[in-house]
Amino acid sequence: MNNSKLGLLTPEQATKQVQKSIDRRNNQEKRYRFYGRLAIAIALIFLVTLFVTIISKGAPGFFQYYVTLDVELDRERLDPKGDLSTGSLYSGDARGVVREALFAVVNPEGRSGRRAAGKMVSSGSEERIRKFVQKNPELFGTIQPIRFALDDDIDSFMRGFIKRETPEADRRINDNVIGYVDLLNAQGRISYNFSDYLIFGSASRDAEMAGIKGAFIGSIMTLAVCLVLSFPIGVATAVYLEEIAKKNRITEFIEININNLAAVPSVVFGILGLAIFIGVFGMPRSIPLIGGVVLALMTLPTIIISSRAAIRAVPPSVRDAAYGVGASRIQTIFHHVIPLAMPGMLTGTIIGMAQALGETAPLLMIGMVAFIVDVPGSVMDPGTVLPVQIFMWADFAERMFIQKTSAAIIVLLVFLVGMNAFAIILRKRLERRW
Amino acid sequence: MSTAEVKTNTMGNIHVDDARMTARMVDVFYGDKKAIDNVSLDIGSKEVISLIGPSGCGKSTFLRCLNRMNDTIDSCRVMGTIALDGQDIYDPSVDVVPLRARVGMVFQKPNPFPKSIYDNVAYGPRIHGLAYDKAHLDAIVEEALQRAGLWAEVNDRLTQSGTGLSGGQQQRLCIARAIAVSPEVILMDEPCSALDPIATAKVEELINELSAEYSIVIVTHSMQQAARISQRTAYFHLGRLIEVGQTKDVFTNPLNQQTEAYISGKIG
Repeated sequence: MNNSKLGLLTPEQATKQVQKSIDRRNNQEKRYRFYGRLAIAIALIFLVTLFVTIISKGAPGFFQYYVTLDVELDRERLDPKGDLSTGSLYSGDARGVVREALFAVVNPEGRSGRRAAGKMVSSGSEERIRKFVQKNPELFGTIQPIRFALDDDIDSFMRGFIKRETPEADRRINDNVIGYVDLLNAQGRISYNFSDYLIFGSASRDAEMAGIKGAFIGSIMTLAVCLVLSFPIGVATAVYLEEIAKKNRITEFIEININNLAAVPSVVFGILGLAIFIGVFGMPRSIPLIGGVVLALMTLPTIIISSRAAIRAVPPSVRDAAYGVGASRIQTIFHHVIPLAMPGMLTGTIIGMAQALGETAPLLMIGMVAFIVDVPGSVMDPGTVLPVQIFMWADFAERMFIQKTSAAIIVLLVFLVGMNAFAIILRKRLERRW
Repeated sequence: MSTAEVKTNTMGNIHVDDARMTARMVDVFYGDKKAIDNVSLDIGSKEVISLIGPSGCGKSTFLRCLNRMNDTIDSCRVMGTIALDGQDIYDPSVDVVPLRARVGMVFQKPNPFPKSIYDNVAYGPRIHGLAYDKAHLDAIVEEALQRAGLWAEVNDRLTQSGTGLSGGQQQRLCIARAIAVSPEVILMDEPCSALDPIATAKVEELINELSAEYSIVIVTHSMQQAARISQRTAYFHLGRLIEVGQTKDVFTNPLNQQTEAYISGKIG
């Protein structure tokens, strides 16, 4: 063959040229591998920073400071009617009993001294005493050591956010109180324990008593309503679109719209809920029922899309086999297609629920942002949800709220990660080989 | 429609006495493409007829017309008359569900349901309400598995999944599933092409036994198989039925030169 530069090379020439280019291509590959690793490393650094920040900020939120006082359980004062009924306990003087126990230790002077000392213990201490005597009536007349939460200002002082060195006028607690705290500490009465308020307490203006129980129950109720509505409707829609509807312009149009809905910002669904359910139908605001309906609207496209994919993944051989033995279309769908598509549908649903759990904007629009102390008893009672509670707490100034906010974020994250992990495990375990 | 009136270019005798199914002037279109062109054929009762021909000649398409499986394909249009025991199966008043119980099908790749062996065979009788009670259903399942030659191998593990069996066993399970609804005709679309020779031999032996009870229409790519198991053979080419006749005649003395070319390996 000729050596013309414009034509095909001889095999020997080509081999030489390829050798030369090998080095260049190897270097290129090395560079791209490096870029890839760098990108992953940066992402991992951000992720680790995020988790470290959240955990370090939030972990202290799970604990708070308590004081143990020797309380004299005087029956006449605590249970005037003597029958341990709620009415009797509430008409008693639990507050006075607690104050006495406290004053016995710190000996405050003067009215201002006593007033400042009285604020050291959380106002939830009264409820604590009432519950205690109700559970242990045999202890009336004795002196018992009982643990009470400290007020959030004292708690902040113990953590070092309020400093001794700051001039008294700039501090939230005065020198007297600091003296009392030192006294209690010297007697070893102050302890740092896992906070039973955070998990089991409801929303409260007092930071030391604030907890997520109400918001948590509200979240569960709202999600339950969302699931009950979105799963059957989503699965039925997917089955209809995939198996029954004829493929024409109308079904294409519907499919395009469902895909678009999945990308609509969630706050729009909140506005929709506000306008229709609350505006037109006049339903009450801020109830888990409406919240669940709004979230269901938002989750439906996700469930429909993943269910359709799961149905499409069922091989035609199964359908052929069913038709071949004389099954009708509905029988084929319900006896064969749906059971085989169920793992994929469930996975999509769990992921949709995890998304709904973390949604804040649409629920703000329908008013689930009110300050609600009671735990909702049914889906028609006013309630709030965990992400909204976090959002509200972030507004408050007290230092303890900041820590509890981070702690609540940790709780929310644990559930989100847990739900997603569950979806992944479910998918792995139910994967079938045809 | 009297059998004498059919105009056809097919060589050989398309008719049989005592035909179970008759196809007359059948055209099948996929969209605009004509896949089957003016095919007329009789399927006799208690015989094995094999449909042979090169790839894409339409034999599977024709087979699927016989139990209206082509209904599941949106773009497919079937014209002409196909009758089972004298009744046109494409008549609008005919319900396709009982039709498919009378004309069963076994597919190329074994496709047992991902259920237990028992449930695979029992599914058909269950949905058609064939059993009086559980004991009767058990008896149906046992007899179907016995006729399919599988009972001895699986009777101690009926609750295990059907997909755990070997390829040959799965195909026999599919045959048992088809038999369980007591069909009149069994259609088989290359049932042995995914099986090893030993399993193939077992299935062929089974087809031999079954032909005493059922009409069997089998599409096959293997001429040797057609010669082994069928009484009549129909040769398809590019959507047309070229020749049909007794198997030994078609293979030793074909009437049409296209048939002869295929059989001797010059085409296909």
